Amino acid sequence: MVGNRDHRPSLPLFSGGRSSSSTSLASPTSWASTTSVSASGKRIQREMTEFNLDPPSDCSAGPKGDNLYHWFATIFGPPGTPYEGGIFFLDIIFPSDYPFNPPKVVFKTRIYHCNVDSTGNVSLDILKDNWSPALTIAKVLIAVKSIFTNPNPYDPNAPGVAHLYLADRAKHDEIAAEWTLRFAK
Amino acid sequence: MVQEGSTTSASEPERRTIESKPLGIGNDAESFLSPRFKSAAALAGWDEEALLIASLVVDDTPEREFQQKKRSVLQRKSPASGSRRKRKTSTSIISIPVTVLDLDEEEPTVKDEAPKQDPETAEAEVKKSDSMVEQKADDSSLSCSTLPCMDKLREELSCAICLEICFEPSTTPCGHSFCKKCLRSAADKCGKRCPKCRQLISNGRSCTVNTVLWNTIQLLFPQEVEARKEAKESNSHEKKIQDPEKAFYSSLESYNTRATGMLSMHGTSSSRRRGQITVQEGDGERDSRMMQRAASSNAESRVQSRMHRRSIRAMRMATRDADVRSSRRSTPDQDQDAALALRLQREEFLEAFRDTTQVQTRSSLSLTRANLRAIASRAAINLRISGRQNL
Repeated sequence: MVGNRDHRPSLPLFSGGRSSSSTSLASPTSWASTTSVSASGKRIQREMTEFNLDPPSDCSAGPKGDNLYHWFATIFGPPGTPYEGGIFFLDIIFPSDYPFNPPKVVFKTRIYHCNVDSTGNVSLDILKDNWSPALTIAKVLIAVKSIFTNPNPYDPNAPGVAHLYLADRAKHDEIAAEWTLRFAK
Repeated sequence: MVQEGSTTSASEPERRTIESKPLGIGNDAESFLSPRFKSAAALAGWDEEALLIASLVVDDTPEREFQQKKRSVLQRKSPASGSRRKRKTSTSIISIPVTVLDLDEEEPTVKDEAPKQDPETAEAEVKKSDSMVEQKADDSSLSCSTLPCMDKLREELSCAICLEICFEPSTTPCGHSFCKKCLRSAADKCGKRCPKCRQLISNGRSCTVNTVLWNTIQLLFPQEVEARKEAKESNSHEKKIQDPEKAFYSSLESYNTRATGMLSMHGTSSSRRRGQITVQEGDGERDSRMMQRAASSNAESRVQSRMHRRSIRAMRMATRDADVRSSRRSTPDQDQDAALALRLQREEFLEAFRDTTQVQTRSSLSLTRANLRAIASRAAINLRISGRQNL
């Protein structure tokens, strides 16, 4: 309930004017009626149904538990890359003002990739400055999938890997395939 | 008659929508021109024959769009002849609001296809339209939920930011449309670029509503728009409490809408309005539930509404105090004063109105009481304003 906690303070200023019984009674529902939280919650819910109706190929995603703001996704390593055959797990955390701020996407599976650092953070422009509220999780996952096939060594999160990628591609691919075999299968 | 037999086997909502039509829908001719279209046409002074001729004339024009219609016209034509006169007399009796969109071009084709559909797609349509049908009044559901293109329209007309049907759509210079509110918050939080194509939007502040699109959406998705409007209204009340400056405008707006609502009808909307009042008082959930119960049983209602009114009064005292406090803390502002005055006035007005709708016998007494209270509060406000102006 990340979003919930964040938004409690911005609830009506008049909690003092309320009777105590109503505050306790309304607490699970009242936060949903605040603009921002319900807007983001609604949007995430809608995205979830749309994602389930038409998921991008080789991807899956959904809420981890009953928390709508914490998702969990998998991407299958695309064929023709050193990541082929691997299953990569990702954590997606939505901010409380979600469509207006990018979700946080973290690799849970270790991967040898120049745009993913050792803690799993992804350097992807659309997850930072180039985020647009019209983007959805499906599109984000497609973008993440695209860095499997087209790593961007010029904006690396792992400079060592990027260097090797540029200097010795074959060696890089070999290590990446080895990591995929070791961690993602 | 053949069609009626097959439609009953087709799908649940299909049947429901047909039953909810006020007259003999088994007539094939009925679907040829929708009753709504005809009533609209009747208002415009067109009679049945003129319409038929007009549609045939249109068919003769070589435009591509109309070829489809022609086909459906031809299909419909032969069985229609027998029952046309019957229909003509009955349609003149019912009065249907003209504002509802005429979707008659698609309607006949839908009804044509529905019975022929294989069970799988029919079932999918059941699921899809079932939820819609349940929500809204039967009458308005007639044309909307049964259209096959509705899903595509929904997709096209939804806002990429909130993923819902655009509410008060605003179109960017690059041609993309979003809810006005969504676009504004996107401009505020993500920079002044189009969320879809990243083109610069000159000024996110000055976005205007695309009226054609907005009207289209209102006609196509009346129930969604209504739901959004209600949500917006309750939200605006919450915000109003937080932000007295914005309050003036939003309260003006809601005051107007509510006033018109009151004039128009009593029975069905009164409970909803009561819900709104309680939301405004900041004690939404419990009180609205209470009010619903109150509406259901008359004997209980007196006790509970009395209780409720008392609680509202207490709540109002609290809000009023807080308002006064907050306005004293900040510099005195005409807008704030006006907002406060308007709100108090409206509260009194609403309470008076509620009394009249609830229990007729008590109405006159409580009305006068409410009026007196309104006068007193207005006098107090005037005093305060004039005192402030003197300072």
